[in-house]
Amino acid sequence: MNSADFIALLPLIVPALASVVLLLLITFSRSHAVSVLFTLGSLLLSFLLLFVAGGGTPRRVTPLFIMDAYSLFFIGLLFIAGIVVAVMSSRYLGERSMERGEYYVLLLLATLGASVLAAGSHFASFFAGLEILSVSLYTLIAYRRNDDRGNEAGLKYLILAAASSSFLLFGMALVYAQTGSMDFFQLAEGGRVPDLTVVLSAGLLLITVGVGFKLAVVPFHLWTPDVYEGAPAPVAAFIATSSKGAIFALLMRYFSLMDLQRFPAVWYGIAGIAVASMLIGNLLALRQNNLKRILAYSSIAHMGYLLVAVLAGGTVAKTAVGYYLAAYFATMLGAFGVIAFLSGEEGDAENLEAYRGMAWSRPWTAGVFVAMLLSLAGIPLTAGFIGKFYVVAAGAGAALWIPLIVLVAGSTIGLYYYLRIVAVLYGRVPEGEGGAVTGFPGRVLGMTGGILLTVLTFALLWLGVYPAPLIRILQATVARLVP
Amino acid sequence: MLPKIFFGYFAVVMVVLSLLIVTRKNPVHSVLWMLALFFHIAGLYLFLNAEFLAAVQVILYAGAILVLFLFVVMMLNLKEEVMGERFGKEWPVGISIGAFILVLFFFTINKFSQGPTGQYTIERIKAETHTKAIGSVLYTEFLLPFEIASLILLIAIVGAIVLAKKTK
Amino acid sequence: MREALWVIPTLSYLGFVVLALYGRGLTPSRAAVVGVGTVGISALLVLALAIEFMTSPPPGHAYVQVLWQWMEVEGFRPPVSLRLDALSVIMMLVITGVGFLIHLYSAEFMRGEEGYSRFFAYMNLFVGSMLVLVLADNLLLLYLGWEGVGLCSYLLIGFWYRDPENGYAARKAFVVTRVGDTAFAIALFLIFTHLGTLDIQEAMQQAGRTWGADSGMAIAAAALLLGGAVGKSAQLPLQVWLPDAMAGPTPVSALIHAATMVTAGVYLIARTHVLFALAPPVMLAVAVIGAATLLLAGFSALTQWDIKRALAYSTISQIGYMFLALGVGAWSAALFHFMTHAFFKALLFLGAGAVIMNLHHEHDMGKMGGLRTQLPLTFWTFLIGASSLSALPVVTAGFYSKDLILHNVGTSESGSLWLWGAGVLGAFLTSLYSFRMVFLTFFGEAKGKASGKPGPLIRIPLVVLAFFSLVAGLVEMPSLFAYAGLDVHLFTRFLQTTLPGITASPLPLSVEIGRELIIEALQLGGILLAYMLFLYKPGIAGVVARTPWGEALQRLWRSGWGFDRVYSVFFIRPFVWIARVNREDAVDLPYVGMIWAGFKANRFLSRTQSGKVRWYAAGIGLGALVLLGIVVLL
Repeated sequence: MNSADFIALLPLIVPALASVVLLLLITFSRSHAVSVLFTLGSLLLSFLLLFVAGGGTPRRVTPLFIMDAYSLFFIGLLFIAGIVVAVMSSRYLGERSMERGEYYVLLLLATLGASVLAAGSHFASFFAGLEILSVSLYTLIAYRRNDDRGNEAGLKYLILAAASSSFLLFGMALVYAQTGSMDFFQLAEGGRVPDLTVVLSAGLLLITVGVGFKLAVVPFHLWTPDVYEGAPAPVAAFIATSSKGAIFALLMRYFSLMDLQRFPAVWYGIAGIAVASMLIGNLLALRQNNLKRILAYSSIAHMGYLLVAVLAGGTVAKTAVGYYLAAYFATMLGAFGVIAFLSGEEGDAENLEAYRGMAWSRPWTAGVFVAMLLSLAGIPLTAGFIGKFYVVAAGAGAALWIPLIVLVAGSTIGLYYYLRIVAVLYGRVPEGEGGAVTGFPGRVLGMTGGILLTVLTFALLWLGVYPAPLIRILQATVARLVP
Repeated sequence: MLPKIFFGYFAVVMVVLSLLIVTRKNPVHSVLWMLALFFHIAGLYLFLNAEFLAAVQVILYAGAILVLFLFVVMMLNLKEEVMGERFGKEWPVGISIGAFILVLFFFTINKFSQGPTGQYTIERIKAETHTKAIGSVLYTEFLLPFEIASLILLIAIVGAIVLAKKTK
Repeated sequence: MREALWVIPTLSYLGFVVLALYGRGLTPSRAAVVGVGTVGISALLVLALAIEFMTSPPPGHAYVQVLWQWMEVEGFRPPVSLRLDALSVIMMLVITGVGFLIHLYSAEFMRGEEGYSRFFAYMNLFVGSMLVLVLADNLLLLYLGWEGVGLCSYLLIGFWYRDPENGYAARKAFVVTRVGDTAFAIALFLIFTHLGTLDIQEAMQQAGRTWGADSGMAIAAAALLLGGAVGKSAQLPLQVWLPDAMAGPTPVSALIHAATMVTAGVYLIARTHVLFALAPPVMLAVAVIGAATLLLAGFSALTQWDIKRALAYSTISQIGYMFLALGVGAWSAALFHFMTHAFFKALLFLGAGAVIMNLHHEHDMGKMGGLRTQLPLTFWTFLIGASSLSALPVVTAGFYSKDLILHNVGTSESGSLWLWGAGVLGAFLTSLYSFRMVFLTFFGEAKGKASGKPGPLIRIPLVVLAFFSLVAGLVEMPSLFAYAGLDVHLFTRFLQTTLPGITASPLPLSVEIGRELIIEALQLGGILLAYMLFLYKPGIAGVVARTPWGEALQRLWRSGWGFDRVYSVFFIRPFVWIARVNREDAVDLPYVGMIWAGFKANRFLSRTQSGKVRWYAAGIGLGALVLLGIVVLL
């Protein structure tokens, strides 16, 4: 490693160092504000360092990392998500008696793990990043220690993630046995993957099992609602966005480098997963009354939509994935943000009935939530619409008619439960003595909440109305994805 | 012929030991069977000219980790009745899925043909000695994941402390 | 200055957003300031832009402002771009100018109504959408404005939504125009798939190259666009919604008729005139539709008792003139008539509104009369408007524009004597029904008592519009005046850069004078006849009307030639019948089944979410099993 490598790797080194420093810092001062500010500062610094690192790209730093425009874009997205989650958490933790400093250490490390995935170009970095992410999440999910559901969720995630990791490792072993290399770029070079042997495709699909677990696609999705429900709302936001986005970035790189679409076994496997996810994810959400579970199911379906773009392949599909993920990040963070900021000490604001008529008592918060839901449903003029439009365009370009039909059907089912929430928000407030108290009277969003949600809403609309700049950035990045 | 016999012994015994681990009612027994399993795994490493790994396997897993496991199991001091049921009602489902996967693996592995090999062939390791080879690779090419792996340990420590600490 | 183009529609939308979000909290006067102010500033901006455009025209006489690229997928790159050229300048001047006066008028007219700020919010949205429509440089954005206009018309016609009648009228307007909108949408798809672009200028050039003149595709595309135009502009056979649209508040009618909505069709054809020029059969259809509409609506206007309905039919008739002009390729003439019509029709509606307001919401002309002395200002301005509508020679604006149309129809290569004759007959009808209104409303004996006088916010727009109804025509003199040394053709010259002139064969002077005399004689004759029938000897009209033929005709005309009944028999009743027979809805069954299946599937799948970690692990195992199965099987 020389100094140029070092500079290119700075955006990953800073959060790693920061987590250690923060760990030392909290031995001196357990002030919550210090921890939050330090976390935000280091994430911001890492984000800015992306631009420094961008000077020397594309650059391979050891066989493990590739720092190119593509990975920088996704790392940037992950850092932004990390910042948003940290801001959300500062309020969430501030109101509860929990260990505070350690939370941010784990959050920093989880973000680091996700970034390692986004920049990974080797099975070693793939697995290492995945484990950092997972191990941090075990604890973060169970962070509400006095909540049984939290403990249960943490344990479930631990067991199932370990099980899926074993599939992943075995898959890697099979691929290595057939190709003799763990380096993505070596695999991509001509001759390494001449044609698909059974062992190789078995290996690839076992890797898909591990990846599918993280993405929470059918049939590896069963843990999702329980974990989302048990995890604190900001952590659930992190799982829904960063954890999946990072894996997806890696998957996309891996797929396009090895040009896996040409192998029928892999193609059908992914297609089956995509179709099942779109249908089952949406169907499961239909009659759900717990908002966090609804968002969990919704995220299953969204990952299915994204897989359609992966199937399509080609430049448009890659742009579509990038755009969709950015839109999805903004939307999911916003939706979980509303839940997080409305959550009181007695538990997360996840019961749908508690939102009845909220539009009348607090129109702005309800408005933000509605904007997020419409974007998830893919209504025009929101970011979600452009993302979906892109995916459909990519799919139509590759003539993937069956997945597209399922996509449309799934979106239609999706409308039902998204609009059901909107209907509840605008519903009549139950009157009389017997009526439950709804609309979270007395909860104030506070400055952080107001600013954060406003920014996210604007980002959503901005991406929906004026997507051109982001598309241009994406086109520049994906163009260089395959050297 | 002889290596095949040895390999066959290790492979079969490992499967049997694994089954024993998951079927024992008493967790202490399970852990002890696991100890035996780890020794056999170490034996397999030796086959691959990986004497360093074999040693590490014995020292770390058998020596350290399993002792920790035993501590935990004994500390929990499980009552007999808690130890009762090892399986839920779903075990036939689990077994059949597992069996099918096994069959499919069999089909898959059956079609295995040697692809291009990696850098470290047995000859090269023999020439270079295993410990030296792994050391040089670990501290040059794979230095970064090595560092990252250390972070995983850090996370585990922090997480364990946070979750296990007594609430004030 | 040009760079501020985007501000003009944005201002209206801004007003809408403010009123929609904070409307409840605003006092009526503040709401009015926001609503009127934003349109007023737009109008000033437009004026400044127009002056700049005339004094120092941009290169190529067009300025395109690309605001941003909406999205970019597989060659589909609709930019959000605005186009400033002579055509859009004229349209904007009228929309914001007349629109502003109507807003001003509404501030007083609507005072005290429930939903005052809601009214202005809709009105602003209406003006904003119309501005987007005329400024759009590509068909997609144009379509956005087009739909926005349709939505606002629905909202405003049904403004007094508590009365189900109004809701019905609003729905009717929406549904009938939707028929046209669908044709328009299909035209968009056709143009995009075949020409590969939605940019209007590019598409027009492409159309000439790819399709060529008189080709089937060009005819299809132009015919579909015509379908859209016919719907929005209330021409045959989709004119039925406009008379019912009178259910809205009177300023809304003024806005719909004068400045926005119904002129959208005229604008669309003018904007895509290249395409229409490639399709001579469609051009002929445009002309024939225009001629037929102007006659049918003229007869209908003659028999209406509701003053607003009479005006509505007159609008249909006048738009018919514009279509007639478009049909013979006289684009500028259509636009010219659009402009003068905007002034005098807005004036007439606002005058009628003032009358109605002061007569306690009385619409029936039979119960009016003698208002000349009670509402002198309203009378004089209404008289000016009616004169302009009847194209009273030389002194009114309507004369100049109608004369230009008739002249072009008579001389254009694609015109014919038949069309000219229809136009002339229409002119006669126009003056007859215009002055019938004047005489019934303002002359004769007073049947009602006006309560109070209109305030300044009503008087100012009336006077300003009356002024323009008189002088706006002076920018374009009839060709006959050239012999008297008055060779003024400012309007057509100005539009020359965007809309080409017609190819016409000049007529000998004697023929031209003869034609002119026929027109004037018929027009003045119409006024005279109106005087005879409705003021001097009201009995005659009654006698004629009571003959069996007269009664039948009257009934036919009053009901707008029975189109509503025909549609009712052929479309509505069969549809209602099908709906009734199909109460269980066979078509719906698959959907109901899907919903049922969805919920069943949900219930089934929910059981997989058992919460048991072993079960979840089995799911992972099962997934691996299936994936490996695919490997082995393939």
